Amino acid sequence: MEDPRGEGAEGGGDAIVALALTRQFRRQLAVDHVSFRVARGRFFGFLGPNGAGKSTTIRMLTGLLRPSSGDAVIEGARLSGDLTHLKRRIGVLLEELPLYERLTGEEHLLFAARMHGLAAPEARRRTQELLEFLSLADERGKLVVDYSQGMRKKLALACALVHGPSVLFLDEPLNGIDPVSGRVVMDLLRRLTARGVTLFFTSHVLDVVERLCDEVAVIDRGRIVAQGTLAEIRAQRERASDASLEDVFLKLVAADVTREDLSWIG
Amino acid sequence: MDRLIALVGLRFRLEARAMLGSRGRALGLVFALPFLALFSAAASLGAFALVRVVARTEPGLLLPALSAIFTFLGLSFVLAPLVAGVSATESHDLSRLVAYPVPLATLVASSLVANLVQPSVLALVPPLVALAFALGGPRWPLLLPALGLGLLLTIASAQTVGIALHALSRRRRLHDRVLFAGIGVGLLLSLVPVLMLSRGGAAARRALVALVERDIFALSPFGWSARAAVHAGRGDFAPFLGWSAAVLVTTAAALGLSAAIAGRLYRGELDSGEAPARAARARIRLPGAIGALVEKDLRVAWRDPRLKAVTLSGVIGPLLLLFVLGQGSAGGVGPVQLVLVAGMAGVGVIGSNALALERDGLGLLLGFPINRLALVTGKSIAVVVLRAPALVALSVAALLFAGPVTAIAIACVVLVTQVIACAADSYLQILFPVPVPAAGRDPNAPISGSRGLGAAAISLLTMAVTLVAAAPFAFLAWLPEPLGQRWLFVGTLPLALAGACAVYFMAASGAARLLLRREPELIARLRGEE
Repeated sequence: MEDPRGEGAEGGGDAIVALALTRQFRRQLAVDHVSFRVARGRFFGFLGPNGAGKSTTIRMLTGLLRPSSGDAVIEGARLSGDLTHLKRRIGVLLEELPLYERLTGEEHLLFAARMHGLAAPEARRRTQELLEFLSLADERGKLVVDYSQGMRKKLALACALVHGPSVLFLDEPLNGIDPVSGRVVMDLLRRLTARGVTLFFTSHVLDVVERLCDEVAVIDRGRIVAQGTLAEIRAQRERASDASLEDVFLKLVAADVTREDLSWIG
Repeated sequence: MDRLIALVGLRFRLEARAMLGSRGRALGLVFALPFLALFSAAASLGAFALVRVVARTEPGLLLPALSAIFTFLGLSFVLAPLVAGVSATESHDLSRLVAYPVPLATLVASSLVANLVQPSVLALVPPLVALAFALGGPRWPLLLPALGLGLLLTIASAQTVGIALHALSRRRRLHDRVLFAGIGVGLLLSLVPVLMLSRGGAAARRALVALVERDIFALSPFGWSARAAVHAGRGDFAPFLGWSAAVLVTTAAALGLSAAIAGRLYRGELDSGEAPARAARARIRLPGAIGALVEKDLRVAWRDPRLKAVTLSGVIGPLLLLFVLGQGSAGGVGPVQLVLVAGMAGVGVIGSNALALERDGLGLLLGFPINRLALVTGKSIAVVVLRAPALVALSVAALLFAGPVTAIAIACVVLVTQVIACAADSYLQILFPVPVPAAGRDPNAPISGSRGLGAAAISLLTMAVTLVAAAPFAFLAWLPEPLGQRWLFVGTLPLALAGACAVYFMAASGAARLLLRREPELIARLRGEE
């Protein structure tokens, strides 16, 4: 039987182990005893409706929000331990895109690289490469405040990638990105997992999740309601083997999508 | 008309909810209302008495003097967002409303109506009634509409400036430059009373009187309503109607201009923000993570007009204090005044709120695996560098008043106090950060959870503790001066600096450990989640 406290996980093959993570905001229980494991090199999809607790879980797992209770182990580093050690190994793309608006895109990326301890020539090389890769090279001299939402997203993604993390937490990484860049990013993410990088990924675009993720967990009202490969979840929920992730998801979160027509239409 | 009422109602509902949702804002209003009532009563009394005295003693001066006063009031309303960073008027968030089939003129008019019934504007009505009564006696009801038109013009013009600034904000760098220049003008204007009262103020006073006597303010539309009222009071109805019509036309023009700017703004015709044509490759020149952090902070501060203004106003503060102390002392500026001001300039570091000024970037900064002592030190270095203009200004003042050796000693006293103050401030910014609105949002919007009066008290306490802690090092740095043994500076200055740095690193290590423990709480607090 699996050790419920996750003891010994630090040396195991899991990149992420969440141990009864809980977060309460005033009277609202945002995340309620969430536990899961993500093996190294997996593309892990974390799904849920709006307000289910996805972003809160990511912020806890990346040390940016203290859990009310519970713990997690990321690449052998405990959340309750030295966070600096943890932050060396992870890259984070948060939904709210924390960026310095009065730096140019290029300055921003260079700064992120230097703060991750990269030497100046290497920081410059990676910055140029990432700007070209994400089609931001022409906008490198523009202040971040003047960037569009999609450009900000790409810059934040570049900041998360610049130091070569072994675990990437991506909260809605494809939102607002144009289709060309979206394809480039998806291909890159696939190549990263092939090289052993673990991806923790949230998205509302379920067909993208279905195409990319090896494994998913579904959170609803702060609780994990299903976890496993898509085939396992289909089997758990007695859905046909060709049922789409959307069907399974709607069933899992017990969503009622039937509505009366609007009175003045049709 | 229905849409106009709905829009004004919407604005009131939003304001009421913002007020009820923020204890600080509600408390601010409760405190502000008695002051507004007091101001209104005092202004009414003052206006009445002034007009009666001038009408009796210098009747020829009444017209130009009132034009000048109305011009000054009008300009202060209109330029308030630029020179003080606060706006007396507010427009609807037009970006959310332009999708509806409502004419832009209706949107602009609804903002005007809503602005007219704000407490700060309503407080101006009693002084206008008093003025009408003083000018017209029993004819005062005739004068009141003319004066009211002046108020309408002022508010409409302020709205136009607000929307023009908003349009300008599409070109971020230009907008920042204008805002910075405006804050500079505001700072200079705030110094005018001090200069007028000082020894050199006679010439400035003569120049102002000459301008008023030549009736130069007759050219200002803000003074036209006062001219109409004065003529009505004297029974000259033709000029009364003429000036009133002029104000009415100008008000309509201001509203038309607002609608036209809004129309172009929201159809994207004023949109810009393109990258500069000749963007050089970016570089971070300072070495290491601390260097990168310091350079980032300096660049961000230089590009944020408000932060830049705060930095440069740090030069004015100590020099002004020196000026005031010099005025009050028979012998002018001496070593004692210089040391006092140096100490005060040093503790000016407290309240830098440097972590909160990261705004949304704090989550990113604390996500970097940089040693927290390095982070705290980098922030402190940036704060000291940003206040370097004050140090240079005081050193130059000391050089002029007391010679080069004293100037070096004064610079050392400033630096020693700044270093200790940085250590103390590190605790303050971790334990009591003040949330800062995101860049581009209203920087003066009250944010729930800000420190308020309690925090101000803690800042004062921290300043006192800093002064006590820095006193031995400042004393050591300054000791050769009273001893008359200036050659001793060779030893005392490095010793004082080394001692202050040692204290800094002891205190900053504690602050770094505290930061490491409290990072999630700090982020949650600045995001308003706690």
